Amino acid sequence: MTPKRVRDFRFDSCGLIVLAPLLAAPFATANPLYFSLTNQIVVGVIASLAVYIMLRMNLLSFTVPTFMAVGGYTAAMISTHGVTNLLVLLAGAFVMPVLIAVPLGVLVLRLKGVYFIFFTFILNEVTQVMLFETPDLTGGSNGISGIPPVTFFGIPLGQQNYLVLVTVITGIVAAAATLAVTQRFRAEFAAIDENETLAESVGVAVWKYRTIGFVASAGVAGLGGFAIVNQLSTAHPSEFTSFSAINYVAYAFVGGKGTMLGSVVGATLLILMSNYFSSQGAYASALFGLLLMSVVMAAPGGIVGEIRQFFEKRSQARRGSAK
Amino acid sequence: MQTLVSTGLIGISLGTQYAMIAIGFTLIFGIMGVINFMHGGGYVLGGYLAYTLANIVGLPFWLAVLGAAAGTAIIGYVIEVLFVDKYVDDHTASMLITLGIYMIMTTGIIVIFGPEPVSGFRFPIRGSLRGYGFYIPYSSMVVLAVSSLAIAAMYWMIYRTRYGIALRAMADDRKCATAQGIRPGRMFPIAFALAMALAGLTGALVTPILSLEPNLGEGQLLKAFIVVILGGLGSVGGATIAAFLVGMIEACSSVYLGGSRGALVLFLVVLLILLVRPAGLLGRETRRA
Amino acid sequence: MNDHARSSSMKLRVENLTKRFGGLQVFQNISFDVEPGRVVGVIGPNGAGKTTLINVICGMLSPSGGKVWLGDTDISGKPFHITSRLGLLRSFQQTNTFRAASVEENLHRARLFSRERPGPEVNLDVLLEEFGLDRHLDDRSDSLPYGQQKMLGLLLALAPKPKFLLLDEPAAGLERKERTRVDRFVQYARDTLGCAAVIVEHDMDLVRRLCPHILVLEAGRLLAEGTPADVLSRQEVMDAYLGADAE
Repeated sequence: MTPKRVRDFRFDSCGLIVLAPLLAAPFATANPLYFSLTNQIVVGVIASLAVYIMLRMNLLSFTVPTFMAVGGYTAAMISTHGVTNLLVLLAGAFVMPVLIAVPLGVLVLRLKGVYFIFFTFILNEVTQVMLFETPDLTGGSNGISGIPPVTFFGIPLGQQNYLVLVTVITGIVAAAATLAVTQRFRAEFAAIDENETLAESVGVAVWKYRTIGFVASAGVAGLGGFAIVNQLSTAHPSEFTSFSAINYVAYAFVGGKGTMLGSVVGATLLILMSNYFSSQGAYASALFGLLLMSVVMAAPGGIVGEIRQFFEKRSQARRGSAK
Repeated sequence: MQTLVSTGLIGISLGTQYAMIAIGFTLIFGIMGVINFMHGGGYVLGGYLAYTLANIVGLPFWLAVLGAAAGTAIIGYVIEVLFVDKYVDDHTASMLITLGIYMIMTTGIIVIFGPEPVSGFRFPIRGSLRGYGFYIPYSSMVVLAVSSLAIAAMYWMIYRTRYGIALRAMADDRKCATAQGIRPGRMFPIAFALAMALAGLTGALVTPILSLEPNLGEGQLLKAFIVVILGGLGSVGGATIAAFLVGMIEACSSVYLGGSRGALVLFLVVLLILLVRPAGLLGRETRRA
Repeated sequence: MNDHARSSSMKLRVENLTKRFGGLQVFQNISFDVEPGRVVGVIGPNGAGKTTLINVICGMLSPSGGKVWLGDTDISGKPFHITSRLGLLRSFQQTNTFRAASVEENLHRARLFSRERPGPEVNLDVLLEEFGLDRHLDDRSDSLPYGQQKMLGLLLALAPKPKFLLLDEPAAGLERKERTRVDRFVQYARDTLGCAAVIVEHDMDLVRRLCPHILVLEAGRLLAEGTPADVLSRQEVMDAYLGADAE
């Protein structure tokens, strides 16, 4: 019987592989609705993957909008200063949040569970204030607009379908990064998640891995920020509100907090739903709420988790009767 | 000089409001280990209930306020019994469930009352007290008086009545308390209802002065977070002190610094205090799940 | 005793160790040595501070005074995971495993973080079979009966190749017939790793069987020290236990 960790890996890589076909989207269609949906969904996936990384250690982090803002604004600033190479922007959008996350993590990760959650929630409000109060740097309430299109070694990627391509590429990079981190530190994260005291007891330096997770989550979130800013050619505070943190957490939980595939499924489903209800925006909110409650109360594994458990129980029963 | 006095009064007034909400929030956490993400919703609910009772049903304002508090309490009781009770001590689950309820509730309010701020819902007492170069609106004074009374009543209940002692026993050591015969099944819903009632009362009193719209809950919750982190989760005394601290800082920074800089100052203060005391000013170890 | 023990001059030394919580003195001026490969028992009535003593030695709590030495290294107050990496492992009174993980995964994790320690991996197959865990390698650890979870907990402390084991009431909650498994465990640890053990216990038979040397703790002080026959016949030790069931 394959060890659980191998089965987990398969589900996680599914989360990455599933994104690959989207690369074809910009070339397969010209429908602006599909473009918009793809953009929204991929950004949602990236953000909920950032949440997922921390959830591997049973840490709920609302920091994602803050680091998205850092990544997005960094990319915007780099572009408006003349460098538009895709690779440079991706690197900048990843590295800047990482640099900030290291000292921030040292401060914030000392806080016990609940305080940590509250603090990260408040952090987003602070980010908003800082964005508004520094107009020279960030454009304040106007944000940074008129960002030149991304180029790939000289080829501009400004057309609609190319914008989507950039978003999808960013998503794949983000998913690959998530897979890399969660696989490399799978045992450590799981040990901390399931029994922190025991983890320390067998030699796991818990603080170190919490920091790694926090920093990785920041980098991935930064990539999401870049994707948003690229799509809109604008960096604006309204894209990084604290309420969006709740959405991203919802995507991860509803889809299934146990695997990367869960984040992908959750983001896709909930974003499609909120688009369907877009005319009656409030209803989308209520539906989110209902789904969130249902998942927590009846299906704690989320969609992917519950399906997976169902099949595993079946095969365990079969093995049991075959013994 | 007058600015100082006015600022001080504003600070105290804000402090009592924040205390009302934070005390309820910290009570729920301290006793039940539940993170009530719909606590801000209690404030909004109180406002809309008062509005309905006063402007639509036609009750006198004071009756409407009482009705709003009672209504919020009842709703809180029901929610606890139906949804929250099973997830006591489970931080993540209780947080997400109450969040879901909050989202549904907000949608309900938007559907019934529309997304725009309510107009025509005003505090019945106008005008202000003027003297020696400062002024304070009568409405603020009334809110201050009522809030102080409510807070005093809470303290009296928690520290002087048998019920309050039972609540504190539950917060300290639930197994022990239950072994003594205190029944969580009865205590929890009542505690939850009381906490929500405080939030509802605050909403009913303050929204006619400031504004009433469906999305106010988030802002209130945020304030509650700040106060409660500062004061230490689970500590009623801490929440009270922190509430006044936050109120004062906010009053001072909005008067002297202006705009959202005040929020930054607040946050920096919180950050500094947390660096020195990661459990808040009077916090105790967070409940082990 | 194998080469590990003979070549290492490393012993665990506890020197005037003291622990206070606010105004409450839990224990004070506790001193003792544990030579490599030795088994030392720690007994005493409830509330004597035995578990806290273990918590302080292994680094879960920091001492209020005194020192702990592992060979030449001062490990007093060092973080818990560091002392583990240095070869001081502990087990827990309550069952403590990686709940949702399988038995196999539990052991896999326990080994992961001690790879840089010298020596080959500890082969636990013999013990897994004797404890009946070999039939449950793929089962979730929290689905096992209490006794087996407890034994798994012990194995998790052995997997990282310890030099010293601190066992906190290893037999607590085990049925009579299961208790000899603890003997087997300690013996195996000694034979394959030259590992020494400090065993906090209430089961006097087990202590007599396994520990050639015991310490008696009472109200935070070291009351007596010596061989079981010697110590358990002393009046003050029996007085300390008066009212407490010494089984």
